[in-house]
Amino acid sequence: MTTGTMNTEPMTSAAALTTDSIARPTTFMHTLTSEWVKLITLRSTFITMGAGVVLSVVMTAVVTLAVGSTWDGWSAERQAQFAPVLMTMSGNVILLIAASVFGALAVASEYSSGMIRLTLTATPRRGQVLLAKLLLVSGITLVLGVITTVAMFLVGQAVLESYGIPMGGLGDSGVQRLVLGLGVATPLFPVFGVALGVILRSTAGAITAVMGMLWLPQVFGELLPAGPQKLFRFAPQSGADSLTVAHFAESPLYSDPALGVAIVVVWLVAFVGAAYFLLKRRDA
Amino acid sequence: MIELRNLSKRYGDTVAVDDLSFTIAPGRVTGFLGPNGAGKSTTMRMILGLDAPSSGEVTVNGRPYGRLPAPMNEIGALLDPKAIHGGRTAYNHLRWIAEAGGFPRTRIEAVLDLVGLTDVAGRKAGGFSLGMSQRLGIATALLGDPRILLFDEPVNGLDPEGIRWIRSLLQRLAAEGRTVFVSSHLMSEMEETADHIVVIGRGRLIADTSIADFTQRSASSHVRVSSPRGVELAPLLEQAGGTVNVADGVLIVTGLDAALIGRVAAQHQIEVHELSTRRASLEAAFMELTQDSLDYQGGTPDATVAETARALAGTGTRS
Repeated sequence: MTTGTMNTEPMTSAAALTTDSIARPTTFMHTLTSEWVKLITLRSTFITMGAGVVLSVVMTAVVTLAVGSTWDGWSAERQAQFAPVLMTMSGNVILLIAASVFGALAVASEYSSGMIRLTLTATPRRGQVLLAKLLLVSGITLVLGVITTVAMFLVGQAVLESYGIPMGGLGDSGVQRLVLGLGVATPLFPVFGVALGVILRSTAGAITAVMGMLWLPQVFGELLPAGPQKLFRFAPQSGADSLTVAHFAESPLYSDPALGVAIVVVWLVAFVGAAYFLLKRRDA
Repeated sequence: MIELRNLSKRYGDTVAVDDLSFTIAPGRVTGFLGPNGAGKSTTMRMILGLDAPSSGEVTVNGRPYGRLPAPMNEIGALLDPKAIHGGRTAYNHLRWIAEAGGFPRTRIEAVLDLVGLTDVAGRKAGGFSLGMSQRLGIATALLGDPRILLFDEPVNGLDPEGIRWIRSLLQRLAAEGRTVFVSSHLMSEMEETADHIVVIGRGRLIADTSIADFTQRSASSHVRVSSPRGVELAPLLEQAGGTVNVADGVLIVTGLDAALIGRVAAQHQIEVHELSTRRASLEAAFMELTQDSLDYQGGTPDATVAETARALAGTGTRS
C-alpha cells in the first residue's frame, strides 16, 4: 500500500517512549470500556442493530396496513378472533434475528480474525472479558429492544386505529406485559449468540446455531403432532413466550409463567456456563 | 525477566514444546531461533498465558502472565499482525487496547508516532500492507510502555526497508534497557540484532548462548591470498602470527584478518592478486556450536540438531 507515507526510521527519541502514566492494576471497568469501544467502532454494529430496529417497525407498519386496508372484507368471526395488540408485534422476529446476529458477531468475529488473542493478552482474566461482553450485548439489546417494541406498538396502534379497529393502549397491564415483556426478553438470544460464539469460535457457526435455536422450535413445533410437539415447550423461545405472549394467545408450546422462567434460566445457565468453562479451559 | 521451567506442550501425540528451560535476561535482545514448526509460537503463546502448558511453568517477572496486575505495563507482544478486525481504523484498534489497560489517549498518539503511522491512523487496518500491519502490531505492544517486549517473527514477509526499520527499532528498544525477545527462523536475521540466542528444534532446547560466542565460531574462517610472490609472503605472515597452508598456489591463512595481511604485503611491497575472507558456513558454525551444547542438553538427537542447523542457515525452504 502507501509505504511512502511512513517514516523509514523510528522517529521518536528514546525518552519519548517513557510515559508518565503509572502502571495501575487493570480493573473490570477497563475491560467494560474496552469492549464498549470495540462495539461502537465497528460499522457492523450500527448496520445490524439499526436495520433490526428500523425493519421491525417497518414490518409492523406493513402488516397492520395490510390488515387495516382489508379489514372491512373480514368475516365477523375472523374480526372477533383478531388480536390487534399481538399484531403490532409482528416485527419482533426481525429484531430478534438482528439482535442474535449482533450477539454472535460480538465474540465470533474475534475468533474468525484471531483478534481474540490480543483481547486475552490485554485482559488475561477471561471471565472478566466474557462478563463484559454479556453485559454490553444484553444492555444494548435490552434498551434497543424496549424502544423497538414500544415503537412497533405505537406505529401499529396508530395504523389500526386509523382504520377504526379498536384496541387496548399502553396503559393496559396486558399490553404492557406483552410489549415491555418482549422488549425486555430481547437480550435472550443475543446472549446465546455470545455463548455460541465462544463455544463454536466461528462467525458462520455461531450465527447458524443461534438462528437454529430461534427458529427450529417454531418451525418443527407447527409440523409435529401434538405429543412430540409438547417437547418444544422446553425450547428457550417457548419459555420466554410463556411470560410475554401466552396471555394473548393459546398454544401447546406455552407453559405457566413460573415454568417459563425456569426454562429460560436453565438454558441461560447451560449456555453461559459452557461458554465460561470452555473459555477458561481452552487454548486461545 | 521471563523464566521457563521444564515447559512442555503436547497436542494429542504431538509434542510441540518439549521440556524447555531457559531464562530471558533483562536489558538485551534475545533471539529465539528455530525452524518453522519448532515450537516458537507455541512457546510465546504460553508465555502470554494464551495456551496452557501441558507441564512445567513459565513466569513473567516472577508471576504467571494471568496473575500480572497490569500485564500490558510489564510485557508487550506482537504475535500475528494480521489477526485484527480489518473494519476498525488503526486509531480505534489501538483505542480499545488502550482502554483495556487504562492508558491515556496520549499514549495512542505517542506509539502511532513512534511507528510512523500517524498519517494513516484514520484508515481501516484491513487495508494495511503487511509492513504497516507489523508497525501497528508493534505500536500495540508498546502501548503500555512495557520493559519486556516479545515479537514473533517481526520481519517475516517484509521488504528490505521494513526489515531495516524493525532492526533499528529493536536495537533502539534494547538500548533503552528493555528486554527484547524476538523469534526468527533464519540465523542471518539475528546476527546483527541479538545479543543472545536461544535455539530450539522440534520443541527442544538446542542452544542457549551469547551471539558473540556464536559469531566467534562462525568466524573460524580463513583468508585466501594469491600472490605471484606467495613464497616470500608466507613466512612473513607466519611471523605476524598466522598459520599458512598452500593449496594450488594459493595461501590459505588462518588467524589473521584480511586487513592485517594486506598491510603486511604492502609493507614489503608484495603484489597481491586476491585477498578474500572465507567464512565458515553458518551451518557449519551452527553445527559446531550445537555439538558443544549437546553435552548439557543430554540427548537431543543429532538428526534434529542437524536439521535445525540447516533450516536456520537458510538452506531449507523459506516460508
